[in-house]
Amino acid sequence: MSEFDTDVTKAFSPDELPPISRKQFLALVAASAAFATAGCTGYRDKGEIVPYTKKPEEVTPGVANYYASTCTGCAQACGTLIKTREGRPVKLDGNPDHPVNRGKLCAKGQASILSLYDPARLRTPRYGATAAKSGDVTWDEVDADVVRQLADCRTNGKGILIVCPPLTSPTAITLLNEFKATYPTTRILPYTLLNNQASRKAWEECYGDAPYPVIAWEEAKLVLALESDFLGTDGFSTEQNRKFAAGRDIMQSDYFNRLYCVEGAFSTTGANADYRMRLHPSAQAEFVLSLLNEIAAKRKAVPAPAALMAAVGSHTLASFCSSHGLPETVVHHLVDDLLANRRKGIVVAGPGLSVEAHIAVHVLNEVLGNSDLYSSSTELAGGLHPSTSAEIESAIAAMNAGSIGAVIHFGVNPVFDLPRAFTYAAALKHVPLSIDLAESESETGQLCTYLLPAHHTLESWGDHHVRTDVYSFQQPVIAPLYDTRQREAVLLHWMAGQTAFAETLYLAYLKNRWETAVFPGLHRPVAFAAFWNAALHDGVVQIPTAAGQRSALRQEGVARMQHTAVEEGMTLLWAEPPFLGDGRFANNGWLQEMPNPISKIVWDNYASVSPSTAHALGVAMHDQLTVETGAGKQTFPVFVQSGMADNVVAVFAGYGRWNAGPVGSGVGVDILPLLPRTAMDGGRTVSQVHATKGTGTHKLATTQEHHSLDETFVKDFHLKRKIIRESTVEQHKQDPTWLSRDRHEHESISTEVQYHGVKWAMAIDLNKCTGCHACVAGCNVENNIPIVGKDQVLAGREMQWIRIDRYFTGTMDDPVPSHQPMLCQQCDNAPCENVCPTVATNHSPDGLNQMVYNRCVGTKYCSNNCPFHVRRFNFFNFRDHFADGYYEQEPVSLVHNPEVTVRSRGVMEKCTFCTQRIMESRQHAAEQGMTFDGKGVQTACQQACPADAIVFGNMNDPNSTIAQYREHDLGYHVLEDLNVRPNVTYLARLRNTHLEKPA
Amino acid sequence: MKKSLLDYTLKVRVPVILFVALASFIATYYLSRAEREGVGYAPEQPIAFSHRLHAGTMRIDCKYCHAGVTVSPQAGIPAVSVCMNCHAVARKNRPEIIKLTKYFEEGIALPWKRVHRVPDYAYFNHSAHVNRNIDCVHCHGKVETMDVVEQVSQFTMNACLDCHRNAPTRLAGIPNIKRGPENCGSCHR
Repeated sequence: MSEFDTDVTKAFSPDELPPISRKQFLALVAASAAFATAGCTGYRDKGEIVPYTKKPEEVTPGVANYYASTCTGCAQACGTLIKTREGRPVKLDGNPDHPVNRGKLCAKGQASILSLYDPARLRTPRYGATAAKSGDVTWDEVDADVVRQLADCRTNGKGILIVCPPLTSPTAITLLNEFKATYPTTRILPYTLLNNQASRKAWEECYGDAPYPVIAWEEAKLVLALESDFLGTDGFSTEQNRKFAAGRDIMQSDYFNRLYCVEGAFSTTGANADYRMRLHPSAQAEFVLSLLNEIAAKRKAVPAPAALMAAVGSHTLASFCSSHGLPETVVHHLVDDLLANRRKGIVVAGPGLSVEAHIAVHVLNEVLGNSDLYSSSTELAGGLHPSTSAEIESAIAAMNAGSIGAVIHFGVNPVFDLPRAFTYAAALKHVPLSIDLAESESETGQLCTYLLPAHHTLESWGDHHVRTDVYSFQQPVIAPLYDTRQREAVLLHWMAGQTAFAETLYLAYLKNRWETAVFPGLHRPVAFAAFWNAALHDGVVQIPTAAGQRSALRQEGVARMQHTAVEEGMTLLWAEPPFLGDGRFANNGWLQEMPNPISKIVWDNYASVSPSTAHALGVAMHDQLTVETGAGKQTFPVFVQSGMADNVVAVFAGYGRWNAGPVGSGVGVDILPLLPRTAMDGGRTVSQVHATKGTGTHKLATTQEHHSLDETFVKDFHLKRKIIRESTVEQHKQDPTWLSRDRHEHESISTEVQYHGVKWAMAIDLNKCTGCHACVAGCNVENNIPIVGKDQVLAGREMQWIRIDRYFTGTMDDPVPSHQPMLCQQCDNAPCENVCPTVATNHSPDGLNQMVYNRCVGTKYCSNNCPFHVRRFNFFNFRDHFADGYYEQEPVSLVHNPEVTVRSRGVMEKCTFCTQRIMESRQHAAEQGMTFDGKGVQTACQQACPADAIVFGNMNDPNSTIAQYREHDLGYHVLEDLNVRPNVTYLARLRNTHLEKPA
Repeated sequence: MKKSLLDYTLKVRVPVILFVALASFIATYYLSRAEREGVGYAPEQPIAFSHRLHAGTMRIDCKYCHAGVTVSPQAGIPAVSVCMNCHAVARKNRPEIIKLTKYFEEGIALPWKRVHRVPDYAYFNHSAHVNRNIDCVHCHGKVETMDVVEQVSQFTMNACLDCHRNAPTRLAGIPNIKRGPENCGSCHR
């Protein structure tokens, strides 16, 4: 795509200006002059300052408070540290004391703060579309009606169905059980579309009902990921990113782990693999069986029971490779590495694969002794298990039969995110009382009798048990903004009958359960009150629990590991979207505008197909593709994704909501009509799909050009221009100075400025960066980055200060991606500074390239002169540009960081290295009477990076980490030859591949 | 009819020169008045609180009420409860204190008129200054002599920079005072 997209110059047209005559214009000038003079006569009113009447003791205006809590954006329940200013939350970060996520939070978790201030939130209870009345209703009326109807259900024996997510809160689960005791006809139906049922079932087949263990990624020297996006959306990705990156630390030692990835779609994990192979998802089971055979043949010493090998069958690796087009050299390396790294390697399968494939993987791990890496702690220890399709079907049958008297939706949206084949919406009509306890309107709420507004996570109490010995606490950090109630409290109130509601109902219940049921067993030498306060302060309690013993591999399970036929025809492979979850974040503009790590597409989902499949189907980029499964038909825009397996159509779930709110409704295509009911039993493939070219086109908005692979003019330009420098571990060991060899001494025509005292610099280790976009989210929230919308992204006007550039090397079939976070390089010889006519951008004594918004007149010279394209121009006052005035609606503006200017139209902006944080640190130094040494300042992107790929600090301090990174052999600057002297150092990526002998 | 030079001078030159001179004078006059920068601004406050009485006569430390000044960018206006620390017992029958008590007891917001203001895009930090022993008086004047607080000095960038550049002379009483930063980023972000 040309950089000079025609859209870029389209928006301003003189014809669209309001018509005004010369006379009117002169009259206006005269009038404004007269008013201006009149206005000069007195003092300008400066407004008011309204202090607290009674100031809360812990609040000092202008100083942030931090509270530990828990994120509930997904089932991983990471610990959060919430920054509040004058009682309102402004930033979410990971809780450094939390043993799972260790101070890091994914993009979704960080951006979820916007959902608190979402103007589309429900504010008062109201009748839904299926109620006899319409409009608002009071909680008291609702309570009276619901309690009466629930009591009727109890007496008439009609069922009460509570549809909930797989809850991780032990107290909420206890509460549901007590609710069941009060209303015995209650049935609890936990479900999630993004389930991991195949993996769980396979584990049960192999090891009985022992819970799934946490893998010790940090000890793995070899990882083989089969359709598994463990660095992206699968499992505890924040923790997995950290532990995986720990095995690629160039500063620690020469030890480097190796990642093989075999997949059909193109995932973030695949993008970070040392070796990536394309394979149709249905062939994965056979691939693992072939590997097992090969390993057994190669190494007699491997303890492989005969029964096991009988189940493996006769798949040979050689024939498998030739029939599926896998490169034999790589596969042989893989086999050798698997054998060489026995007990310290791990094979993982993704949730998209079948139970058989997962069993085969467990067997392979057992055979290789890799089960040593299963730690004693287990995942999702205390949570409810998602229901199977049969359980859901029986509940829906009961609804249709009229034997269910009430349905309570406990924070779920089944009308949208259950496969449409269940016909849940139709079944809901047969239920006399349906309740949606939700934060905002949804597809389900639309069809309910009552829409009851629930607290946002940041207004709620809770506890979460996601690891054997880790309990994470959730506390409110802001009083409820609207007339909302916590879901659990609502149930408690309905259990109690006609007593008055109190906001503290659930807090009392939670506290009481901990005091009576948990605390006595802990034998802590303190009073409960002290324990409770400490738990809330820390946000987490670790309760050592005896490790459950994993049983030996069960033969019955192994017997199930049969060969499944490789599917003919087209297969639909659906996946969790990187940032929208199951669709719950659809109304969060920050997440809609977060570029997909691989395709860089925003505000859409699409059907990805490989180039040859696209050719066979006769479709090209932006065409429409109609996909028809046994369940239904949908039409997607096409994205031709090099590196995908042939005959696979990959799509993301979570898009295509029709009642998500003004931001998320109608964005993307809904995939749920395509899915069979068995999608709830694990596996994320649908076979025998018909794909045909549809009519028309749909323009996808991407934040990066994407044809660079097949255009000879731009092919490999990132390597030729030395934007990306890469080598392999072995080559680097043999020749550690390869990077500096072609470096020139640059002469400057001016004298170099000397920096005394603190000088800021950043280093980004490309060996650790996986392209997860947590940094982008962190920057968005910290620096008040506006959401611009799809039309503006199409016009090339996205506003994110940090972006992850993605480059492809290699061939159309096997592209090798490289990620590179790109932000203002804070050049010493900054080209932007020389051309600014108003000196709005200039250099500070601590080496920052400052940007002064109030001085900027918007000539855009700086942006034109920036070699890194990191400056962002406010073409609009984005805060009121949207037709629906999204940012103008209350209370969206409350999300802004008060320490950062909200920029307006006509102003250039860019990364400042979080200068507000630097200034805060300087203030603290002044308070303590110390000289500022630059220690302890963290930028928002650095704080967010789960892999610790970003290092920031004072480069003039020779003992600082940043100084060491800048001196490292692998350190380089982007476009070094321009002699702009960037202060961002990139650490060249090393791929841990085998040294191929020249043929 | 041929226009003479005098004609031209009288009809064009003189009016234009007069207009330009007058316009520049008016513009300069209006723009350079002290009021324009708010100097002398002393709005009437909802409660006739006297700094002269409290800070002057009774010598209450500024930091007793403006407690944020050493720890926060904002000095802070005291919460009504801070006033009530004393006035729950002291001078309870005075009309202004009765007004104050009403604010406190009924929990009504007390809308003080703002006297000093720097624009939103300038991030002034009280704690960074006060912790370097710069007295409140340097910017706010002798508040302890004012019954009604008024602005005595300009709160312009020029005024900030004047002190930052010449700190050793402007703040001669403070030992080891160094020049303040002059780079944009120290106030604008």
